[in-house]
Amino acid sequence: MEQHITGSLERDLSIIRNISSGSSDILINCFVTGDISCALICCEGMVSTSVMTNLVLEPITSIPAQESPQALSDYINTHLLLSTDRPTVTDFGKLFSLLYSGFAVLIIEGIDTALAFGIQGYASRGISEPSGEANIMGSHEGFVETVRTNMSMIRRRIKTPELVMELMKKGSQSNTDICLCYMRDRVPKELMQRIRKSLDGIRLETVLTTGYIRPFVESRRFELFSSTGTTERPDVLCSKLIEGRVALLVDGVPFAVVIPKLFCESFQTLDDYSFKPYYATFIRWIKYAAFIISVLLPAVYAAIVMYHPELLNSTLLMLLVESEEKAPFSIVTETAGVLLMYEVIREAGIRLPKTVGGAVSIVSGLIIGDAAVSSGLISTPLLTVTALAVISGFVVPELDPAVTVLRLAFLAAGGIFGLFGISILACAVLINICSTEDYGFPYTAPLSPFRSRGMSDTAVRTGMRNMQDRNFTVEEYRE
Amino acid sequence: MNKQEKVSAGQLAALLLITDVFSLFCLRGEVSLATLLGFSAGIAVQAALSLPVITAAKKELPFGKAAKVLILIYLVLCGGEIFAMLWDTSEVIYVPSESSGGLAGRFMIAGLVALVCLYASSAGLGALSKAAVIAAAVGALCVAAVTVSAFISPEWENMKNIENHRGFFGELLRASAVSGGLGSFVYLLGKSKGSKIKNATVYFTGKLITTVVVLCVTMLVAGGIMEVTDFPAVTAAQLSQPFSVQRIDSLFLVVFAVFAVFAAAVQSVSAAEILRELLPKFKYLRSTAVLALMTGAAFIFTADGRLYPYEAAAEAVILLAVPIMTLCGGEERK
Repeated sequence: MEQHITGSLERDLSIIRNISSGSSDILINCFVTGDISCALICCEGMVSTSVMTNLVLEPITSIPAQESPQALSDYINTHLLLSTDRPTVTDFGKLFSLLYSGFAVLIIEGIDTALAFGIQGYASRGISEPSGEANIMGSHEGFVETVRTNMSMIRRRIKTPELVMELMKKGSQSNTDICLCYMRDRVPKELMQRIRKSLDGIRLETVLTTGYIRPFVESRRFELFSSTGTTERPDVLCSKLIEGRVALLVDGVPFAVVIPKLFCESFQTLDDYSFKPYYATFIRWIKYAAFIISVLLPAVYAAIVMYHPELLNSTLLMLLVESEEKAPFSIVTETAGVLLMYEVIREAGIRLPKTVGGAVSIVSGLIIGDAAVSSGLISTPLLTVTALAVISGFVVPELDPAVTVLRLAFLAAGGIFGLFGISILACAVLINICSTEDYGFPYTAPLSPFRSRGMSDTAVRTGMRNMQDRNFTVEEYRE
Repeated sequence: MNKQEKVSAGQLAALLLITDVFSLFCLRGEVSLATLLGFSAGIAVQAALSLPVITAAKKELPFGKAAKVLILIYLVLCGGEIFAMLWDTSEVIYVPSESSGGLAGRFMIAGLVALVCLYASSAGLGALSKAAVIAAAVGALCVAAVTVSAFISPEWENMKNIENHRGFFGELLRASAVSGGLGSFVYLLGKSKGSKIKNATVYFTGKLITTVVVLCVTMLVAGGIMEVTDFPAVTAAQLSQPFSVQRIDSLFLVVFAVFAVFAAAVQSVSAAEILRELLPKFKYLRSTAVLALMTGAAFIFTADGRLYPYEAAAEAVILLAVPIMTLCGGEERK
């Protein structure tokens, strides 16, 4: 694949057929133009047929006779535009990479370089509302699978030359386009160097999702919560870029990776900046409380009911005693069973075809939920507590994987050692969260290490007039 | 620990104050006005005795081997005392699955705390100090809630009526027993950012304030039953009822356990780091060794206060001898 283009049209076409093993989607059109033999190669389904016909084939076949192959090549370069993206190809590796990226490649007899024209026309999903990260007041556009479309969506929102987008390829087999986006005047230089070094360490064969890349740009140490974020929204990504962060766009994936990410950002949405500060602050604290409830409520319930009933007032205690005395299983078993059943239902809901999805709702909600309680297998207060915890977890979907596991771990700790066990595990989790620090940015900033300036967008959401002079960049949090 | 890891003034204060407040929670015996005065004076004495430590830290002089050994021994003993206090207090702080009073139960509690301390050691001082700030903030909320409850319906006469059997000097000695943070203070002050004088001032001021608040609240809430309660601070928290329908025992229990873990972790992380500096070839199981020594040391400490004079003497040695040794030989080592 490193072999250079020879300049002999017949030989070059033979090499191409050999490398592609006669793959039927490689189309080779041989013709004569300017009295010189040429061949236009493209990949079926990757190029726009109408663009190729109107903008490439018609002009290129109308070239007057030229003195030499070099003259023909110069004529095409200087007199015919044909496409805005026109790289020169010198070896077959690059040739095939461009072919499979939707370029048409022109090989001219007697010239050892080929001309490529970007006339992509492959089918791709249109811009639509993102499936997650719903927004009430903001844009309803989400990223798509085509990296160049995503790049244009970012460029539309940040119209400054300081925004730099570097394209690179990763994956020895997939040659996936990866775009590194950053604001040249805001991003810390050391952050860029370290990210580039991390990306240089990728030696994968394919890159199909952001999950392939993220482990390489995160620390090797075990972290409960990721120190890199993802977003499906170009407006959110732009707000991160303005703060001096770096984004990675992966071709074929409608999610961008954001580096670095802080824990408090999981509770921030762009809607916060559309509402009045007092309401946004109220909603933020609701989210913080929801996160705590989601992780700890089932465990605290089990611990208090099993080991610390004296902490409950008499009315509540009698209510719980009445409900739990009929249940055949221990509280921990009940709670773990309900939580695991919810995970099964959730996973089934995601994987099932949409036509069957409704049946899942009926089975899970009515039959399992209602019947289980009516039969006395599960107590109503426990089901209520578990449901509250699960619904609270939906408030911060980004943290859902970690919350799911932590919920069960805390339940085990609380079930065995009561509130003491929950506290011990909480210490370990807190230390793990505080040890998450990639590229010198502590994950728990601005809470710890404490930065008072950062609290204006963490503990509260100050007004835009106050924020406009802040000129915040993530460099403020670096240690 | 990364050589470059430094802690800020707030993080240092959080690390050390958690240890000191935990010791106050575990205080046995009556708490009276004399206790308040004795403890306050004790803190002032400790601050005065810390001047050589501050001087050595300001000059950024490295500790010599002998100084490190002294600090290590003191940290192991402090850690052991923390485990001993935790075992003692587990009588009133209910820990399920513990065979009440038995050796197995004690080791189970120590084992759980040790596991987290081991993890904290692997995470490093930076992570521990950041986590300590958050834990201290939560603890401060709990203390604030109990304080508010105490001042809603205070029993001021308790402060005069509580009998004291130790006297001012006895309380001064007892203050040294609840200053387990001083060993870590000696070691960590040199690793703190910014002005060492400011960092030390922040710590001792915070210590004085928290001590006064905790002791006052204890007297106001539990003063009436001081003679029949073994752990007055715990009793005060258990009796507090800022809301008419709910006690806040559960919050106190959580904070107590968290503070226990951090108090032990500070000692173990500091001790493991000193062990690394003393024996660089001892790469593996450093933290395990330190925790095992602390658990063994816990059996030395008794609840009757017989060791208070020895603890005060050890404290004076650490605060005076270590920095003097450092100042004398430190310039050459630097």
